[in-house]
Amino acid sequence: MQDRAIIHFNVTDFAVAVERIKDSSLKDVPLIVAATRASRAVVYDMSEEAYGDGVRKGMRLTLARKYCRTAQVLAPQPALYRRAMMELVKRVRVFTPLVEQGVEDGHLFLDVTGTHRLFGPAPYIAWRLRKQLQRELGLDPVWSLASNKLVSKVASRMVRPFGEYIVGAGEEQAFLAPLPLSMLPGIGPKEIQLLADFNLSRIGQLAGLSREQLQVAFQERSSSLYDASRGRDGSVVLPGKTGDEHVTRGHTFAQDTGMYAELKSVVSILTHEVGRILRQRGLLGRRMGVVLNYSDGSRTIRRTTHKGGSDNDFLLRRLALAALDKAWGRRVRIRSCALVCDRFLPRSRQKTLFVLSTPRQLQQEKVLSAMDRVSRRFGDGMIRLGTAF
Amino acid sequence: MRGCSSPEKLCEHAASLGYSGLALTDHNSLAGLWPFLAACKKYRLRPVIGVELTGAKEDPGVVCLAVDAVGYGNICNILSKGLCETGFVLERELIRHAAGIVVLCDSLSLLEKLKNTPVDLVANLGDRPTEQAGKLRQWTQQHSIPAVAVPAVRMANTNEAPLLNLLEAIRTNSRLPVQAETSSLSVCLEAPGVYWNRFAVWPDVMEETDKLAGRCRFRGPEFGIVMPPWKADGAENSATKSLRGAAYQGACKRYGTDLSEAVVERLEHELHVIDSMGFSSYFLVVRDIVGQSFVGSAKGSTRICGRGSGAASLVAYCLEITNVCPIKYNLYFERFLNPGRTDPPDIDVDFSWDERDTILEQVLSQYSGHVAMVATIIRFQMRMAIRETARVYGLPSGEISRISKGLSSIHGICGEPLLASLQRMPAMARGSLTDVWPEIIHLASQLRGIPRHMSVHPGGVVITPEPISNYVPVQVAAKGVPVIQWDKDGAEEAGLVKIDLLGNRSLGVIRDCIVSIEETGRSFDEEYWQPEEDPQTRAAVAAGKTMACFYIESPAMRLLQKKAGTGDFEQLVLQSSIIRPAANEFVREYIRRLHGGEWQHLHPQLALVLDDTFGLMVYQEDVSRVAVALAGFSHAQADGLRKVMSKKDKLLQLKDYQSAFEKGCAQRGIKPEIRAQLWQMMLSFNGYSFCKPHSASYARVSFQAAYLKTHYPAEFMAAVISNQGGYYSTFAYVSEAKRLGLVIASPCVNNSEIKWKKEQRKKSIRVGLMAVKGVAVETMERIINSRKAGKFFSSVDFLQRVSPPHDECRALIQAGALDTLACGRNRSQLFWELAQFHCLAKNKKSRSLFDVQFPPAPALQPSGERELLRQEYGALGFLCRDHPLVLFNRHRGQNSTRVCDLEQHLGRRVSFAGWLISGKLVSTKTGEVMEFLTFEDETGIVETVFFPRVYKRYARILSSGSAYMVTGCVEEEYGAITVTVHCLRSL
Repeated sequence: MQDRAIIHFNVTDFAVAVERIKDSSLKDVPLIVAATRASRAVVYDMSEEAYGDGVRKGMRLTLARKYCRTAQVLAPQPALYRRAMMELVKRVRVFTPLVEQGVEDGHLFLDVTGTHRLFGPAPYIAWRLRKQLQRELGLDPVWSLASNKLVSKVASRMVRPFGEYIVGAGEEQAFLAPLPLSMLPGIGPKEIQLLADFNLSRIGQLAGLSREQLQVAFQERSSSLYDASRGRDGSVVLPGKTGDEHVTRGHTFAQDTGMYAELKSVVSILTHEVGRILRQRGLLGRRMGVVLNYSDGSRTIRRTTHKGGSDNDFLLRRLALAALDKAWGRRVRIRSCALVCDRFLPRSRQKTLFVLSTPRQLQQEKVLSAMDRVSRRFGDGMIRLGTAF
Repeated sequence: MRGCSSPEKLCEHAASLGYSGLALTDHNSLAGLWPFLAACKKYRLRPVIGVELTGAKEDPGVVCLAVDAVGYGNICNILSKGLCETGFVLERELIRHAAGIVVLCDSLSLLEKLKNTPVDLVANLGDRPTEQAGKLRQWTQQHSIPAVAVPAVRMANTNEAPLLNLLEAIRTNSRLPVQAETSSLSVCLEAPGVYWNRFAVWPDVMEETDKLAGRCRFRGPEFGIVMPPWKADGAENSATKSLRGAAYQGACKRYGTDLSEAVVERLEHELHVIDSMGFSSYFLVVRDIVGQSFVGSAKGSTRICGRGSGAASLVAYCLEITNVCPIKYNLYFERFLNPGRTDPPDIDVDFSWDERDTILEQVLSQYSGHVAMVATIIRFQMRMAIRETARVYGLPSGEISRISKGLSSIHGICGEPLLASLQRMPAMARGSLTDVWPEIIHLASQLRGIPRHMSVHPGGVVITPEPISNYVPVQVAAKGVPVIQWDKDGAEEAGLVKIDLLGNRSLGVIRDCIVSIEETGRSFDEEYWQPEEDPQTRAAVAAGKTMACFYIESPAMRLLQKKAGTGDFEQLVLQSSIIRPAANEFVREYIRRLHGGEWQHLHPQLALVLDDTFGLMVYQEDVSRVAVALAGFSHAQADGLRKVMSKKDKLLQLKDYQSAFEKGCAQRGIKPEIRAQLWQMMLSFNGYSFCKPHSASYARVSFQAAYLKTHYPAEFMAAVISNQGGYYSTFAYVSEAKRLGLVIASPCVNNSEIKWKKEQRKKSIRVGLMAVKGVAVETMERIINSRKAGKFFSSVDFLQRVSPPHDECRALIQAGALDTLACGRNRSQLFWELAQFHCLAKNKKSRSLFDVQFPPAPALQPSGERELLRQEYGALGFLCRDHPLVLFNRHRGQNSTRVCDLEQHLGRRVSFAGWLISGKLVSTKTGEVMEFLTFEDETGIVETVFFPRVYKRYARILSSGSAYMVTGCVEEEYGAITVTVHCLRSL
């Protein structure tokens, strides 16, 4: 059987990299990406310089600022990162349809097995792509090549923030052996702690345990650890894994809020945005979820469903508010909230013979249609329903 | 929590609106009765006493007003039944206890039920004529029942509405803003004319309201002094006779059969005063309680410490309620009881912390129905107010804790807004107090002093001759004990005499230490034990070697003892009392005078009062005695001043006393500057202070502990750590034990008990299983019980017989408790065995058809020494053999001084590696924050001072249980070494 060739691209500190492309003056400045208007913001991403000073993802911004006083803080722009990710994917898809992408994080897995006759050897593809991305997008990704996703990901971690690494077929176990256990994807802190009790700290030491021995300590997890420690990973590259199975819109409050009215108004605005996207795509959403991120970092998700699906803002709002009431049970303020609409049905293009909608619904549809036209012409947010205020 | 204005504020507002009387009807509570009566007296209002009673949740409530004393008793009984009994039916109880009560009801259904009963019914129409009120009025006219206007007032002024909303949100555990329906309840007290206008359509309603107020003639309970009952077999007045007999019998036991004249004279005097004031039965009841504890104790070595002003009584000493001879130590009986004293004094008795609850249970069961604990009204203090307000605003708990931590150090800075004080805190990160914090702090400041909930006094018990619910409403506290609705001040106002039965850890330490000594076959004669006479103990106290000794172990106390260098009992009594938060300058002055510094009394008349205390006011009673001597205060007035001094939020009350003091002194020709100095000294009694008898009782226990530490260090330190509590952490006590030359033997499943104990070999303590973090009591007990069948011979044997949960066994292995069972295997291999055992247990649970065949164990390498120490520290919180500073040896540098050598560097700048063990934040006179921190290394312990500028620089990196390189100047004062820190770095 032919050896697989999996390339892993990783644009280190993706958000920072994108921001630096947008504004070249930020190139040599330590950067922290975090919601600057929020009083208790956490770090979304940071540059290598800030990382060196001790800043980490998820850290409170006030603390991060203390660690890296010279850092410039930028507000995250998810839409910009999404666009940059799409540009990345567009370019790598030229070489293979088997591309698996992360969520706006600059991670891509490419399965280029069997493309030798078309594009040349796998390292050449990786090298070419890197050059292309540098030239066309200004991004300089780390890349690594191995026979599976697991090893290629570890190899990328080895060389970040800049460089490349090729792990030859059959060399996986030897490559992993001297590395610390924390480098192995999928191994949790509890498992690392248990292995530390046995005085095992390297992946090679873990690989020294037989399948039966691992069964003693890890039971059901033993098999995956056994394979992982030997650099075996049979998982396939899943193209379109992060496709458009859902529509999400979110809002981060400038100041954490405990006001129900404010939250309700934001939910109304988000519902309108979701509804407009559904109508543009000709979809009906059957499930509406509300994601609440609390000030203390915890998160609650609650959903409501509608059997027939809808793209009507008024109905979607009712669903969202019902989910909101279920979600906001704690006495802690909300930092951000998001709406997730999924379980789509295609909207029938064929008009019904009979009028099933009530006059009120017909009126609502007319209003929404008019609002969509205004939005298309004058931009988002130019017109809103009264419930959004 | 349902209203935001204090009774005082309500009364003031009512008086300003021209009312002549006011009714206070709290929801199911009479807790506010005494402040309400005091406020009515102050504002010349006629009090109407009542309560808003509710039955089952969905049932309508009623307002009950007491017409006379019988009605008051009935209200107390109904309320007690409602709060204590299940199956309480309001209508039934109202009918049963109808005498002397007017029942105001706003429910037609309830009115219908009660109309043909003995209940004195009145319809409650609310604060305005509404449709509902109209129906009620119509009904009352048909049945010839009066109807009255009753506004449900929850605040005095409308500007308190935000506060009321906040309280409502806190009470209902909800967010701000509260829902509209609760906001609408915010009703403030309007002028009488407003109600007359509103009810102009029904003028008869207002007339009936006036009539009703006139009918309620009860102006508050007047029980006199209520003593606990004591029943003897003999004839009348037997309490007096019995007390006399018992006192003389006890005196013979204490002083021998040939009683001296001084003893007899004092006994006679005290017995006379006790009898004339009717306190004989009280003494006998307390004696019975203490006596029962001796009998009831399984260990047979129960010890008590009678303290407070009661320790000044020779009778109490003879009855073995207290342990300090009042004649020998010159303790004034009049501080406890004197004919001029109008309030009932109480006797406080400490029991060992782990025996107190049993004793309390005995008392509660013996006097069942006539006994209850005293309540404590928990009021919003600044920290609690900020926490609760921030929660209502939805802030995360981590952030709330971060801010509220800074509050303790700024407590007491007056005259500056709290927000500004907080913002100046060095430990407060820049920008922490933005966003909603200013609003939270502003609102929280207003919450201060408002009652939050009712709790139970730590040990106050009231016993009454009649059923206690005839005097005061009783409810059941969360821990299941009956508790009256009044706090100690309320009980005192009512004349209910309280007995304090408190828990004290050090009594448990002394008990366990003596038991441990006796277990090793050595005898310990407690009867003739005079620790304060022992030269070695006195030397240890004089050298400040009193860490782990009751009440004299804090850095401030140890430094004071070192500086004083006396080590005698009398000075320790004085020192225990002079160490007060606001008395720093007097402590310095005391040391100076003690060492022969020149001084003279501020006024010649003080010679009689303050001769023993070097002209300084040290004890609580000194305040009253000076006020009597110089300002001509009456004894009662002076006692009032003493009481006010020890209370919080006393500023207003103090003003009156200050002007009286100034006036009195001026009349006696005392100069203004002397008056000011005296008043300043009196103010140093701010917060808490002791009376001499109390200090003497504590000093006795301190000396007992110091004696045991000096002569039986292993037994003593084992008992100290086992009983937990204390000023320092276990880590610090372990270090102290090592400094005493003791060996700390690692915990061992075969040799350790649950508690720490002295090993057979001399100078060794075995760590108890209780020290291993995360091990449950059940597991410890299983280990001890399994061991009764024979010691564990291998780790597998241990696992099979004890079956410990995985995490707990992991902690035991990390602590080294299974090392003796390792048989040459390393800890990694022990962990592997544990994994095998749990795999097997899991398999058994899943009822697998096949036996588990384990593969051969891998060849696991032992962990390094450093990793083993890290594991041990993680599991125990200390290291048995080494000091954790050994882990930082390579960072210490060549110029590092050892703590034990610091005294050789007096006046010089030195650097030393120190482990931070405790700290105390204080604020300077100018409001700046500074900290006293205690560091230690392998060789000793040292106190350091971080002045404001240095503290500001390093506050953020200071954390207990961390290693630092400390640089500073070594200073000495009266033989005590301290280091004034200049800079610091983390190791």
